[in-house]
Amino acid sequence: MVCFYYFLVSTLRIESRNTLIGHQVTVELKNDLAITGILSSVDQFLNIKLDDIRVVDDTKYPHMMAVKNCFIRGSVVRYVQLPASAVDTALLQDAARREAQTPTTAAAHTMNR
Amino acid sequence: MTEETHTAPVEPAAVEEPLDLVRLSLDERIYVKLRGDRELRGKLHAYDGHLNMVLSEVEETITVVEINEETYEEVIRTQKKTSEMLFVRGDGVILVSPPVRTG
Amino acid sequence: MTDLQKYVDLTVEIITSDGRVIVGTLKGFDQTTNVILAGCHERIFSENEGVERVALGLYIIRGDNICLIGELDQERDASIDLSEIRAAPITDISRR
Repeated sequence: MVCFYYFLVSTLRIESRNTLIGHQVTVELKNDLAITGILSSVDQFLNIKLDDIRVVDDTKYPHMMAVKNCFIRGSVVRYVQLPASAVDTALLQDAARREAQTPTTAAAHTMNR
Repeated sequence: MTEETHTAPVEPAAVEEPLDLVRLSLDERIYVKLRGDRELRGKLHAYDGHLNMVLSEVEETITVVEINEETYEEVIRTQKKTSEMLFVRGDGVILVSPPVRTG
Repeated sequence: MTDLQKYVDLTVEIITSDGRVIVGTLKGFDQTTNVILAGCHERIFSENEGVERVALGLYIIRGDNICLIGELDQERDASIDLSEIRAAPITDISRR
């Protein structure tokens, strides 16, 4: 669990100064719903909150027409499409390598570096 | 249990467990097979012990088998999607491999 | 972190893993996304007829069975004629 948490911190907030929070992302769920919105928060379960949402195929899925912001349970996420320009891939790879070497319990402290 | 002590891993670059092979694929294009007849090809930027991953320049192939209602014949249809940067949740991952196959 | 505190006492729409849509007032929640919904009703979507509303009352929904919790914009919701909406139900992923 610790490494999972670290990972999502690394992915979605690694750039703690250069965060993905506030960027537009598209979350694709396991039930095939895809929702675009502004990433407002993420927690250790990878639960995701989106603001100002829009269902990608809204004619097929009018079920959420009156929903403006939502909480998505991490366990039902299949993908999160990210804006490439907002992701520092070198930093991510670095973090992944470091995480691979670090015993999982020690992973947490590296993120506050 | 014996009192035998386990020798600590000295060489960080050595391949000792499956995930070490994934580490060697960092910054390389890989092939990922997922639940639900989905496949991804993309460049690996990050992963963790759950096989959560971040891939870029991703091509997703979804295979759908449809059965013709009259002839009961199976029609296999594939659908392709692309994304520039994709976070993939590890619980859907079946296997990870270097992409030997092209396209 | 990403808690549901901001949604408490608001009308929310919950999509469950078996694809149902349940609307009610969020009264409580916990770490595992178990929720308490007061005065809720289910909205049953169908391709052949308009959305059917079924009153449910007070529900406690176990987190495992929740896909999504959305804050319902009351004004926008009131402007939608649900009897005109035709749509297939959301895919059931509960037995995968």
